[in-house]
Amino acid sequence: MTTLNNSEKRSDQWSQLLISVGETRDRKAFAQLFEHFGPLLKGFAHASRNEGWFPGLGDDLVQEVMIKVWNKAAGYNAEKASATTWIYTVARNCRIDMLRRKSNTQHLPLENEDFWHEPDEETPISLLQQKRSEDRVQASLAQLPKEQDQILRKVYLEGKSHAEASAELGLPLGTVKSRVRLALQKMQVIVSKEAQE
Amino acid sequence: MINTTNHHPDENMLIEFSAGTLETAASICVSAHLHFCSRCRTKLLRLDQVGSQIMSQSEPMEVADNAFDQVMEKIDSADLVSSSKTSSATSASTSINTSDEGFPYSVKKLINTSLISKNWKRLSSSVDVARFKTGQEDFEVALHKICAGGKTPKHGHEGLEYTVVLKGSFSDENAVYREGDFLMRQPGDVHQPMGAQNGECICLSALSAPIVPTSPLGFLMKPWLRINPM
Repeated sequence: MTTLNNSEKRSDQWSQLLISVGETRDRKAFAQLFEHFGPLLKGFAHASRNEGWFPGLGDDLVQEVMIKVWNKAAGYNAEKASATTWIYTVARNCRIDMLRRKSNTQHLPLENEDFWHEPDEETPISLLQQKRSEDRVQASLAQLPKEQDQILRKVYLEGKSHAEASAELGLPLGTVKSRVRLALQKMQVIVSKEAQE
Repeated sequence: MINTTNHHPDENMLIEFSAGTLETAASICVSAHLHFCSRCRTKLLRLDQVGSQIMSQSEPMEVADNAFDQVMEKIDSADLVSSSKTSSATSASTSINTSDEGFPYSVKKLINTSLISKNWKRLSSSVDVARFKTGQEDFEVALHKICAGGKTPKHGHEGLEYTVVLKGSFSDENAVYREGDFLMRQPGDVHQPMGAQNGECICLSALSAPIVPTSPLGFLMKPWLRINPM
């Protein structure tokens, strides 16, 4: 697990591009990332039309996230996460902070990304395991029953808390919680309680 | 980092943390726990993968033609001034020393930027408190220090309270809690924490829900130690 052989290198296109941006400030690579992720980021911003949403959030988010991607690319560790996952975490933190800035006048001096300062460490799971789980997530997402797919989208894409999702869908909070867990168990992202014991 | 924590946030909390929808009080404590717990960090990575796949399969929206040029312009102009940038989280000196204690990043930043007072404040004979300015009414965040062998009064909780052990250990009727352990107290829970005999214990706590002092001594005990008559 300590040395990576070639087959274990992260080879997807986006991760390669992000590495180039980090290592050589490669503007062409950055332009390709922008072309791919820009529209996704805008869609991600528009999906969260709840409290604090404002027109222009989409374009602001694209800008803010891509500037962060440029600035932080040197710290990207391809062994820890794919570029897509890494950019998602940047986008998620940016979106929360932007919405918070709009809706609150006073707040903690903490930005959301402060919550994600992890200690430097060896990769918690091997690259091979990560790739497998990423592939599995991608494939199984398409096969989820409609109601499980819907709840995951509410939570991750629309940025709704469990409580907000419960109010919107007219479901008890407990049902929302178990439905989210069920979806993630099906995708083998979390292990069911019974299987754990 | 060796994983020694036994008490973790539940799965739905981690999911909401990963989706970025967990309320702030809980997020602060989950983030502190993650610093100590590689098991939950691994879980979080998997959950982030779900978020990233959902994002990348979502409906793309066309961005303005000049968006890329605008970003490059900002990057180029920021590069010129970036050398003058300094971190604000390093300067303050306080009697609450964290530099060598392996505290989580978010807690260090809070200590350096947001303590109400730079000194511990005595809460009872065995407990000191240091509160953070949060600018919020719906949660309160503080550090508590229980001296070695210190006994705290039996108390109840009116709101949800999250606690993470940052240093040392303490125990109550149910268990011993060590560095990194994450605890959630429901409204109505009553317990009596005790500091370990072999050294002081420092905890981060975040209380959500409005704080309504009820006992006559409430103003003294707020927010953590409220003597509950039951």
